This record gives sequence, C-alpha cells and structure tokens, in this order.
Amino acid sequence: MRGLVIIPALNEARNLPRVLESLRRDAPGWDACVVDDGSTDETARTAREQGAIVLRLAQNLGIGGAVQTGYLWAREHGYGIAAQIDGDGQHDPQFLAAARAPIEEGKADLVVGSRYLGSDGFRSTAVRRAGIRYLSWFLRLRCGARVTDPTSGFRVAGRRAIELFAAHYPSDYPEPEAIALATRSGLSVSEVPVVMREREHGRSSIGAGGTVYYLVKVSLALILLPARRGVA
Amino acid sequence: MTQPLLPLELQMVVCGTLIAFSAWVVYLLRKGRLGLRESLLWILSTAAVFAMTLFPRLLRSIAHGLAIEVPSNALFALAILYLTLNVLSLTIALSNGATRARRLTQECALLRGELDALRAQFDKLATGK
Repeated sequence: MRGLVIIPALNEARNLPRVLESLRRDAPGWDACVVDDGSTDETARTAREQGAIVLRLAQNLGIGGAVQTGYLWAREHGYGIAAQIDGDGQHDPQFLAAARAPIEEGKADLVVGSRYLGSDGFRSTAVRRAGIRYLSWFLRLRCGARVTDPTSGFRVAGRRAIELFAAHYPSDYPEPEAIALATRSGLSVSEVPVVMREREHGRSSIGAGGTVYYLVKVSLALILLPARRGVA
Repeated sequence: MTQPLLPLELQMVVCGTLIAFSAWVVYLLRKGRLGLRESLLWILSTAAVFAMTLFPRLLRSIAHGLAIEVPSNALFALAILYLTLNVLSLTIALSNGATRARRLTQECALLRGELDALRAQFDKLATGK
C-alpha cells in the first residue's frame, strides 16, 4: 500500500531538497506531497524539481489548513495511509516505516512520533518541555489520550484518520487538538519513538510570546471540546 | 407636573440619528453592499431603540424591571447590549467567512495539483509519440 507524505512548507526552499532526498532514499513506498503555504521563495519550484506533488495554496492558511489540504489530496486519491512531517528537516523519514507498522497491523488509526519515548536527539528547551508535559497531562485528563509528545508534527494516519482530518482539522497550533479530535471520534492513537534534529535553516514558528498563546489557545480548545463533539 | 422621562431635545437628536443610520443601512442594502441576512440584526435592534425613544414609557418599565433608578441609565445599558450583540454577530459572520475562504483556498490548491498532474501526463504522451 502506497502512502502519502504530507510536508507543509512555508519558505523552506533551502531545507526541502534535503528532506525530499532523504524521503526518496529512506522511505520507499511513500509519495511526497509538499503543501506550499503561500511561500514567497522558491519552495514550490524546488519541490517540483525534486519530483514531489506540489499543492500550492494561493494564500497563507497556517499549518492546520496546509496539512488538511494534504489529507484532502490523500482522500481524493484513495491513499490508505498518510504521514505528515515538517518541511524544515527536523523529522527523519527513516522512522516512517516503524510508524506505519501499527496502522498496517490494524492496531492504531493515528501514530505520533515522540521524541520523549527514545533516549536521544533534540528535545527542545526546558520551558517548552514543561509546556509539553502540561499538554500531555491535560490531554490525558480531558480525553484519555496517552501521548508523551502532543506537539510533535510527525504523524502517520490510517484511512479512518485521513477521512476525519480531511473533514475536520483544527487551525492555529493544531497538533494537540488533532489528537483530541481523533480520540473523541473513537480513533485509537499510539506513539512510536523518533529522534528529532534541530533545524538547520530558518527559525521555529513559535517565539516566547507564542508559547504562552499556544498554551492558552490549546487549553481553551481542549476545555471546549465536548461542545464541539457534534462536528467530529 | 412630572418631569418628562426623556428630554424632548434628546428624543429629537436620537430619532434624527437613528433615521439617518437606518437610511444609510437601507442605502447600502439597495446598493447590494450589505447582505440582508447580515443586516437583519442591525435593522431589528435599531427598530427596538427607535420604539424606546419614541415611547419612553417602555424604557421606564424596562428600567423599573431591572431596578435601575434613572431611565437614561437603562438606555445606556441597552445601548451597550445592542452594540455587543451586533459585534458578536459580526464576529460570527467573520468566522464563517474565514472557514469558507480556507475551504476555497484548499480546493484551488487541489485543482491546481490535478491540473499539474494532467499536464505532466499530457506532456509525456505528446513527447512519447
């Protein structure tokens, strides 16, 4: 079964060649799909030259809207499995094989790559780790999801999760909320250990003020979850 | 002789303002620059304010019901409610618009992707011959 790797990218022309090259080398059985979220650099052209499917958004939608575009493509084209990795090179495509196994064995609908299950690699700053631990605790409290790395953008989705995310995907720091949405919709979520690298070019999209906004927004979204169950 | 609930001058100024405002809304509606669905709340709430200015007794019974001593304070409270309601309805409309814009943008990207794939296939066929 061929899978689709969704790579949301905003001005990642410098990082993309390496990401797409390692995908070709280390992840056979996957088609690369770059969603260009309104980049002003050569992101789309670079991706096309590297042989990826390119979905170009006419305007910036943010990570949630971009990732959902990939899931819509996966649904339209009948992919039974879809993954998402970041366009900045911090996720290693090598781990895709381990992450798709639980889905192919029918043990999970959504698999999250966690940097805290393993023992090495880049694990972010102390403040962010505390925030991540809080989110993990809150997710478990709110919907019983046991996830150690809820902000991880490394995910593999089975057919049921593709259907769900194509129809509903949160915007604006969507990762923890997407896990909650999946759990609430009766999908089973599991984790595999992955090693993450620190990004080479460019900056993380979340600054210091952003971290506070992130926590407040995601907490609020999780608190309001039951009222929105109807949409899922 | 009891004091009037609202001074006549105030009544006139408010009525004038409301009429001018309503005329503007009607003008925008007729020009097609304002949707009837979005402006319905404006029209209804403006009509309610108009009724209260013309018949201050209404205002007095509302003030009485809310245990507000001075009717004009009730007017202020209602004015704030009126604005809050309209701003909320505006925010709802904006959210709906944003959701739709997101869907449309995604649909365009999907169509462009399909077009690219078709064109690549076509080019392959054309050069293969």
